[in-house]
Amino acid sequence: MKKLLALALALIMVFALAAPSAFADDAVEITLWTYPIGQWGTQEVVDELIAGFEAANPGIKVEVQYLAYADGDDKVNTALEGGNAPDLIMEGPERLVANWGAKGYMVDLADMWDDTDKAEIFESLQDSCTNADGKVFEYPVCMIAHCMAVNVTRFEEAGVADVLDRENHTWTTEGFIKAVNALSETNPNVAAIYCSGQGGDQGTRVLINNLYGGTFTNPEHTAYTANSPENIKALQLLVDLPGINFDPAINGGEEIQLFRQGILDMAFCWNLIQQTNTDNNDAGRTNDGDEIEFMAFPAEDGNAKLGLGIWGFGIFDNGDAAKIDAAKTFIKYFADGEGTPGAIKASGFSPARSMAEGQDLTQLFADDPITTEYMKLLPMGGDYYQVVPGWAEARTAWWNMLQQIGEGADIQAAADEFVAVANAAAGA
Amino acid sequence: MGKSTGMSRALVRRETIAGYLFLLPSLFFFVTFVVYPMFMCIFTSFFDSNMGKNAVDTFIGFGNYKELLQDKVFLGALKNTLIIVVVSVPTVCAFSLWVASAITDMKPALTSAFRVIFYLPVVTGSVAVTVVWKWMYNNYYGIFNYLFKSAGIIEKNINWLGDAKYALWCIILILFTTSVGQPIVLYVSALGNVDHSLVEAAEVDGATRTQVFWKIKWAQIMPTTLYILIITTINSFQCFALIQLLTSGGPNHSTDTIMYYIYYTAFKLYRYGYGNAMGVVLMIIIAVLSAIQFKLGQTSD
Amino acid sequence: MRNRKSMAYRVFALVMVVILAILFTFPLYWIITGSFKTGKQINSTTPVWWPTEWTLKNYEKLMSKFKAPLWELPVPFSQYFTEDGSLTIASTGPTVPAAIRWLLNTVWMAVASMLLTCLTAALAGYALAKKRFVGRTVVFTLIVCAMALPKQVILIPLIREMSSLKLYNTMSAVVYPIVGWPFGVFLMKQFAEGIPGEMMEAARIDGASELKTFTAIAYPMIKPGVGALAIFTFISSWNDYFMQLIMLSSTKNLTISLGIANMQAENSTDFGLIMAGAAFAAVPIIIVFVIFQKYFTKGITMGAVKG
Repeated sequence: MKKLLALALALIMVFALAAPSAFADDAVEITLWTYPIGQWGTQEVVDELIAGFEAANPGIKVEVQYLAYADGDDKVNTALEGGNAPDLIMEGPERLVANWGAKGYMVDLADMWDDTDKAEIFESLQDSCTNADGKVFEYPVCMIAHCMAVNVTRFEEAGVADVLDRENHTWTTEGFIKAVNALSETNPNVAAIYCSGQGGDQGTRVLINNLYGGTFTNPEHTAYTANSPENIKALQLLVDLPGINFDPAINGGEEIQLFRQGILDMAFCWNLIQQTNTDNNDAGRTNDGDEIEFMAFPAEDGNAKLGLGIWGFGIFDNGDAAKIDAAKTFIKYFADGEGTPGAIKASGFSPARSMAEGQDLTQLFADDPITTEYMKLLPMGGDYYQVVPGWAEARTAWWNMLQQIGEGADIQAAADEFVAVANAAAGA
Repeated sequence: MGKSTGMSRALVRRETIAGYLFLLPSLFFFVTFVVYPMFMCIFTSFFDSNMGKNAVDTFIGFGNYKELLQDKVFLGALKNTLIIVVVSVPTVCAFSLWVASAITDMKPALTSAFRVIFYLPVVTGSVAVTVVWKWMYNNYYGIFNYLFKSAGIIEKNINWLGDAKYALWCIILILFTTSVGQPIVLYVSALGNVDHSLVEAAEVDGATRTQVFWKIKWAQIMPTTLYILIITTINSFQCFALIQLLTSGGPNHSTDTIMYYIYYTAFKLYRYGYGNAMGVVLMIIIAVLSAIQFKLGQTSD
Repeated sequence: MRNRKSMAYRVFALVMVVILAILFTFPLYWIITGSFKTGKQINSTTPVWWPTEWTLKNYEKLMSKFKAPLWELPVPFSQYFTEDGSLTIASTGPTVPAAIRWLLNTVWMAVASMLLTCLTAALAGYALAKKRFVGRTVVFTLIVCAMALPKQVILIPLIREMSSLKLYNTMSAVVYPIVGWPFGVFLMKQFAEGIPGEMMEAARIDGASELKTFTAIAYPMIKPGVGALAIFTFISSWNDYFMQLIMLSSTKNLTISLGIANMQAENSTDFGLIMAGAAFAAVPIIIVFVIFQKYFTKGITMGAVKG
């Protein structure tokens, strides 16, 4: 009897081991996978946004899955390979356009932009979301200029606070060198060139590019220029400066944590969300209460070109027209419609367009002093080059280049190797 | 198989049918989810197969294999994999045998308490354990640097996971703590089952502890040792979570193993054919090693 | 002389074992205490050995961050009949913190792997050991060769296969390859070798059917081995992070290990939350282990007696 029972149990298992969901009614069900973009990674907030959408569109049901940056890309890639991609994905052009778009998995959204949209969405964002053939693979929702942060209290103690133009949030390469030298007398860990991989790559790239005015790719976005003399000079400077360590054991998130703990005096992976974070202390304070100022990256003339972060929605082509239509309805609602203010507020970043169906978005953060102050950085936004095909491979190679340099490899050789690998990926 | 010659044909047929019926459930899973993917792996390894909706696989013969031989990262990963196996298998065996022999002599309650303790990292789960180890290895505030500096062993903080000199060994150490639990439990009981009359007889004859151990106990726990060798080898080859969660193969590929590099090639570089070629090479290596281990096990029985 | 030396050795051994035991207990100690620490204590740059201020905030966050239905019972095979290949759900449980669902998923996955593996491996091991059939050597050689093979090797074909079978993102995708792994068959064969041939012969002369011979004679003799295999499979599937990582994608289908790994966000890794998750994952299985210690160790040991 017991054996029979065991057999029956085993049989049930063979047949019933499964669990993805489905709805019995006729609603079109679509799935959204989102990275933790501000509160878009928090279920409570997203549930509320989705509830608003579903109430406005009764024929559509949305199921949300939350990705982490640590293995989110791998998850999407596995799902694509398995033919189980989500319908909607929320991230930036470097993934949607340069990676999955370039590999043919995304739906062209060009038909969603009429002339009004083209007038409302900031032009540089339109370019970034469009590939070389004019196909739009991302509908942008929000954006931010990535920057860095300094521990002002430490700067004051070291007597170098005057290198910071706190009014305009800018400083020069010369000031940066002076500050690092002064700070390193008391702290062996002024800053870390984090390079274990995953997110935050923009910080290291933009720092290196700005120090001596180098660029990351050519203006046409067809070839990488990371091994140019300006960039080599910047890398050499970072290697030589005391207190700046190449650290292949940490990623951008861990660097921020070290900065908040007061171990590092500067963080290169910073943006508005970090500045307004109140997890362990007031906004703009380290865990111990030191004052944090967000700064543009240092440049020779002080005029840095910052890396932009752009986030929005893309649609994976799963071959089901009804789902694609539903997904477009979803995008319209959140990127240019009723849900837009809520979607932007949830991200914590600034809007990607001036107006959305008659709603003025420019005043969205008028009552928020930190955000308003942060907007000063937006005009410094530089070229968005992360749309080169093969970007994901190039990013992987970038980390490896930094790791090699950190280990004492020849800088020129390592940079040349990076450019060769990245160009090969771009050409493929 | 020699026996079958004496059997009647009807009997052979009956045995064959019965044998396969018994094998059927297992073979179904084995063939469908192991053998078939293996075959596909070998097949795809001869193609230039990449990720992409419209990507077309082109046949390139041994192209992937030729590239493998010149891929320094792959050769490094191969070396790291072998280092992990060659280092961890004997140390796990020796260490657990030593701990087991040290704790078997204790009071039963103590023995069982220690047994539980050494088994803890196994049941805690690799992800949970990894989180703590990552903190312990931390360059800036980790416990190793804190303790070693307090004790005056090191002067400057060591970036354990960020330094190619140490990273692989750090991983081996964690693998070690999550691997010895089961062998210790096994050895404790194996030592408890040793024939005591033989031990006593040897002691009466004036044999030393060491002699008793090697001459009598060692032979009796041999089957246990072989079993431990097999499971530890399997375990060491499968070391993946630690690397993915701690170093992602870095710094500069110094902690890549073949298993991680296959994953990396597939999902970071999107090269499926190339990744499969690596899988095939590993398959061959492991099949040979298993065959050797198995032969050794059979002859010493 | 010999006694004194042995005494000294014993003291040395005891001290060493105690030190090692502390080292082995430390991660768990750190997880559990850490899960009750405030953000400040966790992020402190000098180790806080014992929480100076206890908080349940980490657990509150763990329980509130993600939610999922407690269970979803699908209609078997329904994925082959619906248009988009998704399963039809017959019954959905109440919404609970996702961590609870993840734990349930993990238990379900480990128990299913264990039962299926034991059943298939016991039958197959017996056949390989005791049946003299055509092709036996071929099958056995294949099994020995595949036994130590890491699953990463067949990663890509396996994903493709699972998705064409519409099993991707279901527990089946994790369980079936574990069941297919031939180590269990190998182990069971070693055990079944010990069944005396005379007993089988006697059963045959009595006219017992093949199945009867197995259940009445073979199974009782390999039972300890089945126990060993059960425990080995349970623990190793519980810890098999890799298969879970590549086969499961939706938040509610995750296992507890994946759930914790997923909590490491990009910009602010909340270690308190992760510790709470890790403790939540580890404590139940440790309690089970301590309670059933005797059976665990007995089971494991049996496996080795006839390795």
